[in-house]
Amino acid sequence: MGNTVLNTKKIPVKRVIGKKFAKYPELGALTAFIVLFIIFSLLTERFASLLNLGGILSLISEIGLVVIGVTFLMISGEFDISVGSNYAVSAVTFGILLNVGVPAALAIFVSLIIGSFIGFINGIITLKLGIPSFIVTLGALMFWRGFVLGSSGGGAYVRYIGPNTPFIIALNQPFSGQFRTSLFWFFGILIIFYVILTKTKYGNSVYAVGGNPDAAKAMGINVYRVKLTNFIITGLLAGFAGCVSFARFKAVDPYMGKGMELESIAAAVIGGAALYGGFGSVIGSFIGYSIVAMIGSALVMIGIGAFWFQSVIGLILIVAVIINNRMRRLEKL
Amino acid sequence: MIDDTNKIPLVKMVGISKDYSGVHALRSVDFEIYKGEVIGLLGDNGAGKTTLIKVLLGLEQPTSGEIFLEGKKVKMNSASQSRAWGMEAAHQTLALVPEMNIARNFFLGREITKGYGPFKFLDMREMIKICDEKLTEIGIKRKISSDNKVSFLSGGEKQSICIGRAVSFGVKILVLDEPTAALSINETNKVLEYVINAKKLGLSVVFITHNIYHVYSVADRFVILEEGAVIGNFRKEDVTTEQIIDVISKGKEIAEKIISTNIIKT
Repeated sequence: MGNTVLNTKKIPVKRVIGKKFAKYPELGALTAFIVLFIIFSLLTERFASLLNLGGILSLISEIGLVVIGVTFLMISGEFDISVGSNYAVSAVTFGILLNVGVPAALAIFVSLIIGSFIGFINGIITLKLGIPSFIVTLGALMFWRGFVLGSSGGGAYVRYIGPNTPFIIALNQPFSGQFRTSLFWFFGILIIFYVILTKTKYGNSVYAVGGNPDAAKAMGINVYRVKLTNFIITGLLAGFAGCVSFARFKAVDPYMGKGMELESIAAAVIGGAALYGGFGSVIGSFIGYSIVAMIGSALVMIGIGAFWFQSVIGLILIVAVIINNRMRRLEKL
Repeated sequence: MIDDTNKIPLVKMVGISKDYSGVHALRSVDFEIYKGEVIGLLGDNGAGKTTLIKVLLGLEQPTSGEIFLEGKKVKMNSASQSRAWGMEAAHQTLALVPEMNIARNFFLGREITKGYGPFKFLDMREMIKICDEKLTEIGIKRKISSDNKVSFLSGGEKQSICIGRAVSFGVKILVLDEPTAALSINETNKVLEYVINAKKLGLSVVFITHNIYHVYSVADRFVILEEGAVIGNFRKEDVTTEQIIDVISKGKEIAEKIISTNIIKT
């Protein structure tokens, strides 16, 4: 008798954790975030200061836009590792257009079109020719990076020396201490994509297409269109992130965004997204990228130095995948 | 009993052939589905069962042949076309997304939304409610509610969701591809029960299987394929399970023998 009571008590606890995790994939990343935040705050006083948090947040607001797109595409079962190059292409375009006197609104519009176009091309080649997106976008990564370097004459910066127009201020300028207007763009877009993914028919299709394309097709979902749309969204957001970054620095290094592609995939995976699609959330990826950005800042402040950054992120990524997989097995108990 | 002569079949496939670069997957197959009948589609691996179904559902285009839906000649170009007309394939691995919850799967592609214009949002509460109701209605009992993931379910429960979904959305022809493969005896019996319930509700069911014993109790007619051709088309009252097994394993001559003895009987 005593035994059965124990048993019925023990299994549900694990199951409850597993089920909570099944419904909220971001739970694991959130726990990790809180734990790391507390550790870093204890290790160095300045870490939790408003100044530092503002700095971390403005970084998140730029690259985070890319992470949202990458997550969307990953959930539908495809990759885009050309986002870093796309980011640079769009930023350079934006800068050059501003310099030749094109109105900022038109300049950003053209840059976004170019960003979307790069995503569109990736999508078309992947889906029409049936080549894995990883390979297609690896090609795109190299092609567009080379394009920026070549057309800038071997790595010359594009600088904007014009006035700080209201448009640029609205895009990404400080409004209070380290807090920048890019925050509003990022959180606004994050919420929009969160709602699309979880509350709309389209979001349901995205999960279905990534989770089981055959089932999605059998249920009348146009797999091709959903995936292509997500490629375009990813390109658009990478392009927008490039423009937002440009508005902060008013200059762009043609090497800008190098390594961003893998960092954003890492952020999505830390945030609970499955590499093979069908599972994940933009909120999770946001938390995942927050962990990445937080570690970057903390390493410098603790005095370990930025050079160890990649090693630490690599470790966190592997640990995150192990924990996420374990959690998902728990739910089936 | 089905009276083949007086009724227009729901589906009539005439002379369907399908070649895959030199391989004849289907050779001039005639196949008919009448309203409210359960057809056991039998044959060994590679006999062409799946190809025939793919052509029927519009997933593959035949090399030659014609398809008539309720007497009207059509060209099946896509799954959405056959689905819009009222065909649905229920296969636990082909038709469900394991990482999505039961209600989201149930309404996949037919989600209930509220709101206007671009601001249409899923009505999850309503979807879970209707899903629970519909599944109970056709006798599907589950231990967990519809907001849980499909990956929690057993194979039989997954089948039940597929069948329940087809019945609820006014499907005319339900295609079950090996629905009892890898199921326990208990679960198999449940799935067979759902098939009978679906038939009672007026659906036609195409039941693809290797296992004659599973389909024999529920089917009205058996169509047997071999090397892409129909070698037998029997009503249940004309054959025994042993004869069907004989036909599947020994081929065409046996089928012809059965037909001729039946003719003598009548």
